[in-house]
Amino acid sequence: MTRISLEDLQKIRERKEQEDKSYKAVLLVCSGTSCSTSGSGNLLTVLRKEISHRKLSQDYRVEPSACIGYCSRGPVMIVQPEGILYEKVKSADIPEIIDCLIAGIPLERLCHKDTTTDNRVPLLKDISFFNRQQFIVMHNKGSAVPAGIEDAIAGGAYQGLAKALMMDKNAVITEIIKSGLRGRGGGGFPTGLKWQSAARSAEEKKEPPYVICNASIIEAEPHLVIEGMAIGAYALGASEGIIYLRREAPQVSARYNKAIQQARESGLLGSNILNTSFSFDIHIRSSAGAFVSGESSALIASLSGLAGEPTAKYIHNSEAGYKGKPTVINNLETWANIPAILERGADWYSSTGKSRKSSPGTKVLTMTGDIVNPGIIEVPLGTTLREIIYDIGEGLADQGQLKAVQTGGPSGGFLPVELLDLPLDYESLSEAGSMIGSGNISVISHKTCIVDTVRYSVSYLKDESCGKCTPCREGLIALSGILNRITSGQGKEGDIELMARIAESMQLASLCALGQTAANPVLSTIRYFRSEYEQHIRDGKCSAGVCKALLYYLINDNCTGCTACARNCPVQAIAGEVKKKHVIDQDKCIKCGVCYEVCKLNAVTVQ
Amino acid sequence: MIEIIIDGKKIEVAEGTTILDAARKNGIPIPTLCHRSTVEPYGACRLCIVDIREGNRTRLVTSCNYPVRKPVEVNTQSEKVRKTRKTLLEMMLSRWPNVNLIKQLAREYGVTSASYTHPLVDYSSNACILCGLCVNACSEIMWEDIIGFAGRGENRRVVMPFEKHYDACVGCSTCANICPTGAIQMTDDPNHPADDKRISRYGARVTDEVALYDIEQCRMREVGTAHLTEIMNDYDLLPTCNYKFGSHDEAGKLHSDVFKNKYLTQGVPDGCWLGCTMACAKVAEHFELKTGPYRGEKVLVDGPEYETVAGCGANMGIFDPEFVLETNFYCDTYGIDTISFGTTMAFVMECYEKGILNKERTGGLELRFGSAEAALEILHQMGTGQGFGVIVGQGIRRLKKIFAEKYNLSQQDIDFMQDIGMEAKGLEYSEYVTKESLAMQGGYGLALKGAQHDEAWLIFMDMVNNQIPTFQDKAEALHYFPMFRTWFGLVGLCKLPWNDVEPVDNAETDEPAKVPKHVEGYVNYFSGMTGREIDKKELILMSERVYNFQRVFNFRLGFGTREHDRIPYRSAGPVTDEEYESRAERYDKQLMEKWNYDITGKSTTEKREYLRKSREQDYQSLCDAVYRRRGWDENGVPTIEKMKQLKMDFPEVIAVLEKYYSSYTARSS
Ligand SMILES: Cc1cc2nc3c(=O)[nH]c(=O)nc-3n(C[C@H](O)[C@H](O)[C@H](O)COP(=O)(O)O)c2cc1C
Ligand code: SF4
Ligand code: SF4
Ligand code: FES
Repeated sequence: MTRISLEDLQKIRERKEQEDKSYKAVLLVCSGTSCSTSGSGNLLTVLRKEISHRKLSQDYRVEPSACIGYCSRGPVMIVQPEGILYEKVKSADIPEIIDCLIAGIPLERLCHKDTTTDNRVPLLKDISFFNRQQFIVMHNKGSAVPAGIEDAIAGGAYQGLAKALMMDKNAVITEIIKSGLRGRGGGGFPTGLKWQSAARSAEEKKEPPYVICNASIIEAEPHLVIEGMAIGAYALGASEGIIYLRREAPQVSARYNKAIQQARESGLLGSNILNTSFSFDIHIRSSAGAFVSGESSALIASLSGLAGEPTAKYIHNSEAGYKGKPTVINNLETWANIPAILERGADWYSSTGKSRKSSPGTKVLTMTGDIVNPGIIEVPLGTTLREIIYDIGEGLADQGQLKAVQTGGPSGGFLPVELLDLPLDYESLSEAGSMIGSGNISVISHKTCIVDTVRYSVSYLKDESCGKCTPCREGLIALSGILNRITSGQGKEGDIELMARIAESMQLASLCALGQTAANPVLSTIRYFRSEYEQHIRDGKCSAGVCKALLYYLINDNCTGCTACARNCPVQAIAGEVKKKHVIDQDKCIKCGVCYEVCKLNAVTVQ
Repeated sequence: MIEIIIDGKKIEVAEGTTILDAARKNGIPIPTLCHRSTVEPYGACRLCIVDIREGNRTRLVTSCNYPVRKPVEVNTQSEKVRKTRKTLLEMMLSRWPNVNLIKQLAREYGVTSASYTHPLVDYSSNACILCGLCVNACSEIMWEDIIGFAGRGENRRVVMPFEKHYDACVGCSTCANICPTGAIQMTDDPNHPADDKRISRYGARVTDEVALYDIEQCRMREVGTAHLTEIMNDYDLLPTCNYKFGSHDEAGKLHSDVFKNKYLTQGVPDGCWLGCTMACAKVAEHFELKTGPYRGEKVLVDGPEYETVAGCGANMGIFDPEFVLETNFYCDTYGIDTISFGTTMAFVMECYEKGILNKERTGGLELRFGSAEAALEILHQMGTGQGFGVIVGQGIRRLKKIFAEKYNLSQQDIDFMQDIGMEAKGLEYSEYVTKESLAMQGGYGLALKGAQHDEAWLIFMDMVNNQIPTFQDKAEALHYFPMFRTWFGLVGLCKLPWNDVEPVDNAETDEPAKVPKHVEGYVNYFSGMTGREIDKKELILMSERVYNFQRVFNFRLGFGTREHDRIPYRSAGPVTDEEYESRAERYDKQLMEKWNYDITGKSTTEKREYLRKSREQDYQSLCDAVYRRRGWDENGVPTIEKMKQLKMDFPEVIAVLEKYYSSYTARSS
C-alpha cells in the first residue's frame, strides 16, 4: 500500500464522494449484533440478488452498516442519501422496497410509527429515537462499515490529525483545554489539563511521555481512536502509545489490530506520519484483567507485569506513570472525541451539549433494564433522564411504571422518578448521589424491589473489589451480608444506620474509585427509597413481591377445592379435601409460585 | 523546606516527607497497620487517614504515603477522621475479634465488640489481617516474590505460587518477623536452634538496618563491593600499576555506576543464598565476549567485585570495564582467582617495563601496563597450559625465582623483584595500597594465610581517622580484629553485615570500629543457636584457640617464624624515586617531623633510602608489639604459657613449637 501524504487526504475524500454520487441510492442493512440475530445477514444476500437480478447494480449500492442502535426494531434498513429508515424488514419485503425505490417514494408500511400520533415517520432524522441523539463518537451511525482505510478517510478520518500537524504542539493542547472536553472514563477530569500537566512533566524531566487508551466496550471506529491518540501524542511529544484492552472479545482486538496495520501501511502510524517529521506508533496490550484493572493505577501495574491492582499514590500518572514516565491515560471514548475537536474547532465543541458550560459534548450510553429500546446511544450531555428514557428509550417495556433509574453502572446511584428532569452531566448526577461512570442507564420498573437490586449491585462489587484496602473489602462484605439479611426477612433496627456509616467510610477512605463509588447504591437508596428498607425491616414486606422470604401464598374463599394446586405443589405443602377449601402450610412452602399460576379462579394470592 | 501545620503545630519539613513521618517526628501519633519504615508505603489499611487542607481544598488522605509538596494544614484527629477510623476498626474487629493489635486500636476508638456478624469471622488471635507487610517485605527487602496475594475481595489471602510450598523459599523468616499478628510461623528448623526467637530478634534488626541504611552507607544492594573503587581512588588507596600509585585520572571509567548503569541490567541482587538481605553479589547479563574459546557468545558474568575491578583493571593500568568483565568471566571459567591473576600480571608488567622481561621472553607479547589484549592472551594461555602463561600461572613467589635463574639477572634486578613482587607467604596481595598505614602492613604481613585483608582492615582507622596512633594501639587492633574476624569462619557467617551496614547511632558508641551493637547480636546468635550463654570476651577466646592452632600449622609447614611475616617493601613505602616523588610532600614531611631528618640538599634517592630504613624498622617494631600482645615470643612462636592459658598445651602441639623457641634469640644474639 502506498503512503498517504497530507495532500492525499483531501483527494481521497473527493474521489470517494464522486464515486458515491454515481449511484442513485445506497441501501444499508444493519449488521449489528441484534439485527444479525434477527436475520439481517440473509436480508443483505436477498437484497443483493434482487438488485443484480433486476440489473440495477449500476444505480444502487448495497452495504452492511454498523449497529445503528435501534435494536428493538431490527432488522433495520436505511436508504441513503434520503435517510429513510425501514423497521422489522423481512426478505419478503424486498421486491416491494425496490419498487418504491424506483418510484422514488418510501414504503409507508415499513416506516416508523410514532407512538403518540400514530403517524408514519419515514425519515430517520424525524424519529425521536434519532433526533434526540447527536453523533460525534459514533459519527458513522447510519453509514457503511468502512472496508478499508480509504473508506475511513472518506468518512472523515484523519482530517483532525492533518490539521493538528500544521499547528504548534501547545496550540493543540490549548485547543483541547478550550473545548472543555472531560474524561469519559468516569472521573470527568478535564482532558486538556491532564495533557498539559503531562507535557510539562515531560519537558521538565526530559523524558518521553506515553499515551494510553483505556478501552472499554463502546462503539467507536478504531481509526477514530488511532487518530485521537496520534493527535495526543503529537501534542505531548510522545512516540509510543498503548491500547489496553481488558477482557474484550477477540474480534475487538482483531479489528483494532487490523486498523493499526492499515494505518501503518498507509503512513498514518510509524515514522514520518503523513510525510511530516512526526513519528508515533501504537501497540495493543490485552489483559484478562478484572474490572478493577481498568482503574488507572491498576492499569499501569498490569502493563508493568504486576497484579492489576490499584496502587496507593498521590503522584499522578501525568507525572510518573508507565515505566515511571509522564503518562496520559484516557478513556477510549475520550480519545474518539479528539479528532472532531481538531477538525471542527474548540468553539464548536464547547457549544455542544445542553446544560452547563462545564459539560460540553456527548456521552455514549448503554441503556438496559425494563425499557422498550435497549441499546447503545449517544446523547448531548445535559439531555434529561426523561428524554433519554421516554423519547429515545420509548418508555418502559411491558407497560411497566418507572420506579428508579440507576446511572453509571453497578456503582452508580439509584435516582427516583422525581429527579427525571435532572440533566445528564457530571455535576448534576454527582450532586444527586450518582454518577455518569461507565455510561450505563439502567431503567427499573415498579415490579422491581429496590433493596434486592441494591443487594445485587453490592454483591457484584464485592466480587470485583480487589480486596486490598479495608473500607472497600470489609465494607462490601458487611453491606452484602446486611442486605442479604434484610431481603431474607432478618433485617434489624439500626441496620440502615449501620449501612450508612459503613458506606460513608468507604466513600471517604477507600484507596481507589471502585471503593469510593461502591457506596453510591446504598447511600442513594437510603436517601430516596428509605421507606422500602423500613418496610422490609419493620413490616417484613416486599411491596414489589420480589424478596421471596417475605412472601406468603395464601388461598382465599374463591377456592372450590379443585385440587389443581395441591397436585402441582412440588413439596406437598398444600392440604385440603376435594371440593373443600385448601390451605398452604407456610413452613413447607418454598415460594415457587406454581399454585399461583395453576389456579384458574384467582384463589391464590401473594402477600 | 516547606512549612506545614499539623494539629495547629507549625512544622518545617523537607519536600517529599510524608505527613506520617513529619507527624511522628514531632510526637504526634497516627495509628497505622500496614506501614513499616523498611518497606514502601502500601496504603491498604487506611487507618492513617488525616484531614488535609491545601489552598481551599479539603480531603482525607492516607498520611503514610502522602508526600508534602506544598504548604498544607493537617488535622489528625478531626471528627471525620475519628469517625472513619472507628468504622474501619469496627469492621476489622468484626472479622478478627481476637487479634490483639486490632483489639487494642479498636479500644482506643471506643470499639470493644463486633457490631455485626461477619460472614468470615476468624476467632484466632494470630489471624492474617491482610496488611501486606509480609508480601512487600519479601519483594522489597529480599527482592524475591515468594509470597503474594491471591484472590479478589473476600477471597484475598497470602499464598505461595499455586498455593503450594515453593522450594525457592529458603526460610529467611523476614515475612514471619514483620508480620504484626504472628500469622506466619516458621515451621522448619533444620538446625534446631535452642532459641529461634532470640536469633530472629537480632536478625530482624540487621534486616531492617540493611533495608533502611544500606542505600546511604555502602550501597551493597545496589552495586555490591564495587562501590569501593571510587572510595579507594578518592583516598589514594586504589592500587594502580602494581601498587606504585593509589589513584588514577581514568579511574572514573571503573566507577561502580558505570557497571550498574550499563552492565548490571537485571538491577537485582544475586545473593550467595536467596535469603540474604544484603545480597551484594551482582550479575552482568548478555555480555558479549571478545576473546578466547567463547568469543562472540553472550554470557552471564559475575559482579564484578571491588577486588576484581582493582586487580584486573587499575592495578594493570587498564581502565576498561569490558576488560574487567571479560577477565572476570575467563578467570571463573578457568578456575583462576582474579586477585592472584591481577596482582601477578601487575608484577609481570612491571618486570617488562623494567626490562627484566622482553618480547622474546614472553613469547612475543608486549606486556606493558595497560596492554589489555596481551593480558587476556596470557590468561588464555594460563587456562589452556600454553606458552608464557604456563610460567606466569605459577604466581609471584616462584616467578621471582624462575626469572632470576632463567634470565641470569643481576642482584639489583633480583632485589627489585623482591621489593615489588607483591606476595607474602606465597600468596598475592589483595587490592589495597598499604604504604601509608603501618597497621595495615601488619594486617597483610601477619595474616596467617598470606597477604589477605580478611584478618584485619585497618587503613581507615589508622591512616584516615588516626584512631590507633601508638604501637600498642596498633597491636591491640591487630589482636582484636583478626580474632573477631576469625570467629566468622568458625561459625560459618558472612562478615559483611557486621560493618558494611551499621546502626545509625554506631558513631556514638564507645568503640565504633567494633560496631558494638552487632557484636552483641553475634553473641546472641551464638547463644540462641547453641543454647550456651557466652559473652563477647568468650567469643574472642574461641577464635584465639583456633588462631593459635593455625599458627602451629604454619610452623609445621615451615611458614611460621618472623622471617615469614616479612613483607615486600612496596607495601611499606616507595621503592622507586618516581614513587617517592608522587607523594614527595607527604614523605618529606614524615622524614622531618617523625624522624628529625634534615632533608635540605638531599636527593630523592637519599631521602627514599632513609625513609626505607625507618619504615622497615617500624615494621619490625610493630611485629614485636603484636607478638607480645598475642602471647608469642620474639620469633612469633606462641609461648608455652599462652598455650596453657588456652588449654592447648597438648604434647604433640608443643612438640611442633619447641623446635623454634630458642632459634631466633640464638641467631640474633
Ligand atoms: C474500578 C474502575 C474501573 C475502571 N475501568 C475503566 C475502564 O474500563 N475504562 C476506562 O477508560 N476507565 C476506567 N476507569 C477510569 C480510569 O481510572 C481513568 O480515570 C480513566 O481511564 C481516565 O481517562 P479519562 O480522563 O479519559 O476518563 C475505571 C476506574 C475504576 C475505579
Ligand atoms: S477501593 Fe476496592 S478496588 Fe480499590 S484498592 Fe481498595 S479494595 Fe481494591
Ligand atoms: S501474614 Fe501477617 S504480614 Fe502478611 S498480610 Fe497477613 S497479617 Fe500482614
Ligand atoms: S498505614 Fe497508611 S494505609 Fe495503612
